[in-house]
Amino acid sequence: MELELQLRKRQGAFSLTVDLTVSGERLGLFGPSGSGKSSLAGLLAGLSRPDDGRIILDGRTLFDAEKRIDLPPERRRIALVFQQHALFPHLNVRQNLLYGHRRCPAAQRRIELEEVADVLGLTPLLAQQPAKLSGGERQRVALGRAVLASPRLLIMDEPLSALDDDLRHRIIPYLRLVSERFTIPFLFISHSLLEMRLMTERVAVLEKGELRAVVSPEELARQRMGQQPAGYINLLQVGPPRQTQGLLAFPWAGGELLLSDATLPEAGTVELSSKEIILCRRHPEAISARNLLPCTVRHLFDAGRKTGVELDCNGATLIAEIVPDAAHELAITPGSTIWAAIKASAFRRL
Amino acid sequence: MTIAPTDIQAMQLSVKVGAVATLAALPLGFYAAWLLVFGRFRGKLLLELLFNLPLILPPVVVGYLLLLLVGVEGPLGRLLGMAGIRIIFTWKAAVLASLVVGFPLLVRSIRLAMEGIDPQLLQAGRSLGAGPLDLTLTVILPLSRRGILAGSSLFFARSLGEFGATIIVAGSIPGVTQTLPLAIYDYASSPDGEGTALLLCLVSVVLSVAVLLLHETVLQRGKAA
Amino acid sequence: MHTPIRIILITLCMLLFALPSWATELHLSVAASLRESTNELTALFQMQHPGVSFRNNFGASGALAKQIEAGAPADLFISANREWVDYLIGKRLADAQSSSIFAYNQLVVAGRPGLKIRSIQDLLQLKRIAIGSPTSVPAGEYAMQALKKTGIDRQVAHRLVLAKDVRACLLYADRGEVDAAFVYRTDALMLSKQAKILYVVPEGLHERVSYPMVLTVAGARKPDAQAFIRFLSSPEAKAILKKRGFELR
Repeated sequence: MELELQLRKRQGAFSLTVDLTVSGERLGLFGPSGSGKSSLAGLLAGLSRPDDGRIILDGRTLFDAEKRIDLPPERRRIALVFQQHALFPHLNVRQNLLYGHRRCPAAQRRIELEEVADVLGLTPLLAQQPAKLSGGERQRVALGRAVLASPRLLIMDEPLSALDDDLRHRIIPYLRLVSERFTIPFLFISHSLLEMRLMTERVAVLEKGELRAVVSPEELARQRMGQQPAGYINLLQVGPPRQTQGLLAFPWAGGELLLSDATLPEAGTVELSSKEIILCRRHPEAISARNLLPCTVRHLFDAGRKTGVELDCNGATLIAEIVPDAAHELAITPGSTIWAAIKASAFRRL
Repeated sequence: MTIAPTDIQAMQLSVKVGAVATLAALPLGFYAAWLLVFGRFRGKLLLELLFNLPLILPPVVVGYLLLLLVGVEGPLGRLLGMAGIRIIFTWKAAVLASLVVGFPLLVRSIRLAMEGIDPQLLQAGRSLGAGPLDLTLTVILPLSRRGILAGSSLFFARSLGEFGATIIVAGSIPGVTQTLPLAIYDYASSPDGEGTALLLCLVSVVLSVAVLLLHETVLQRGKAA
Repeated sequence: MHTPIRIILITLCMLLFALPSWATELHLSVAASLRESTNELTALFQMQHPGVSFRNNFGASGALAKQIEAGAPADLFISANREWVDYLIGKRLADAQSSSIFAYNQLVVAGRPGLKIRSIQDLLQLKRIAIGSPTSVPAGEYAMQALKKTGIDRQVAHRLVLAKDVRACLLYADRGEVDAAFVYRTDALMLSKQAKILYVVPEGLHERVSYPMVLTVAGARKPDAQAFIRFLSSPEAKAILKKRGFELR
């Protein structure tokens, strides 16, 4: 997908100015609340009208102020998934799913109900009314409804924000699965760095109505880690564990990680905050932290008031953060070897 | 105290006028409410005032204005006359009077329901490929169903009670345009008609209470849902 | 006590005690069609009797009678027909002995100026005729009597537009909604350009159109009410009624 935007829109005291050309199948739009993310989504979908500029999606002009082109939303084929599912309360799940499908021109219709219902686990729910569904089920129906419209672009506007942590991580695989399986490019809107990294390959950063940067989600997470309460979240792929002395030992990077809070004794992804990693210049003789990993410093980077340290841990990457003074004192420079100490309780299952 | 055949006709006529007026008013009322809620145009406030005018004008004034409009010499009356249609002093005039006087109630009720629809549902509908008319029929209409039902029952009840405008444009011709309230007025203004007047009042009360009960039921169910 | 205060107090006392002795209020309940003439008559009487003031209540005769029955203040009742006067006398709310005729009127057919109506049968040439609802409007009742007596009541039945009162009949005739209307002569005299009197219905065809009046039980006890009813048969009162198109004998 290739998206070319040149937009200006004033709404009272707020003004939105975006000049952006991006391509990719999994795009992100990141920014704090009030930065204009949802307004931009509305402009893209044709729900509101820019004051000036143009929108071109895959070579097709959706809006052009000069040429007086303004396709109505129903002809843009951009489907939306909202934070609040927005399911039609008077229709059952099947009718909701088919709402966009029926309205999609036959020539462009390439996704069928059975397949989507199957992928999203909605088959047993087809006859239900939306009011009877749980939050996660509703969001899956909303996603399925959007996908079934065979859109040229799927906009997901904070689709996970209304869900609790647990549910959120269970929905994310569905979101990724659906876009890959049905090859629908999407624009994922969120204020969560972690969601951006899990969902997107390219992120546009919006602040106070202005486009700040277009970066990879990884870069963005590193730049912002100093401002995030949770720091940078390392995502570690671990193998199936074995039991040892009341802890679980997960294979990782040629060695093992000892985790205490492992509710799921199986392979998968675990989270580790950059704040939970303690760096030691020499091997500490006595320490309560269960994991002590020898690493090589790849490089240092500036992250606001903190300094980020990218470590090579037997080929795998770990990001730790320290205050600039500590970097100086410990003489941490690229190439130096160092010990990373991590408590067994610092990990979280994703 | 006797019940004349014309009194039975008055009851039937009241129900007929109410039913026809309600059916005729529904599409108009829906469209008017739609314009007020979703329309974007200049002079919306003016239109809103116009729709609400019959609510505050004395019905007699509405009747008089209708007489000027659809009377033989009136601008609309002349047009209709050319098409061979005469409204004045027929049951159609009673329908028209009911329609105009009850219209604000209907519009108000439908409008409230429409305003209660989550705008995101409409945005979702548009982005899923529904044009404005499609969206109106498949989302707005079903979601304002309760308002339409409540408004219709209120409108019908108002129509059963319509007197002031009707008696001017329709006259009070027994068996032709004399609805229940008109018959009651006729009897109540004659020295020996008191008994019949009271009996017809009772019929009127029973009819209106039944309709209002329906109205309340619709509203209660709306709250429960 | 200071003189000015004393003067004010004395004046107040005088006013308080003096007022009732020279001011009486008379309540009249009068058929709506007599509004203009009644107002003129009471104004004249008031000039001659400065102590009397009037509260005039105009409306449909039936409504007025029912109000009096319900206890509304009324000293004199002037009705558009006999029945409502008898109704009050029957309920012992009016003084039968005071009952007399206020004035007489004529039933006429008014309509489009070009029409020629020489007899009541000529009404059969017309498409629509307005008439007060015979059940509740006296003028309609008189008109119905005339139609029955001529034997054309069935033939014209479907052409009749029944109106709620004489004023509505006038409105329809004036606006051309009907070809003609049965109204009183006094009402027809107030018509504008659009309609005029086409035909005077002969007296023999219906009861004479009369406005009977009666003092209520309360009114019969008031000397001023007695004086007013006497005034109504004085030559100056009769002159006023005559000028407005009423008949007196």
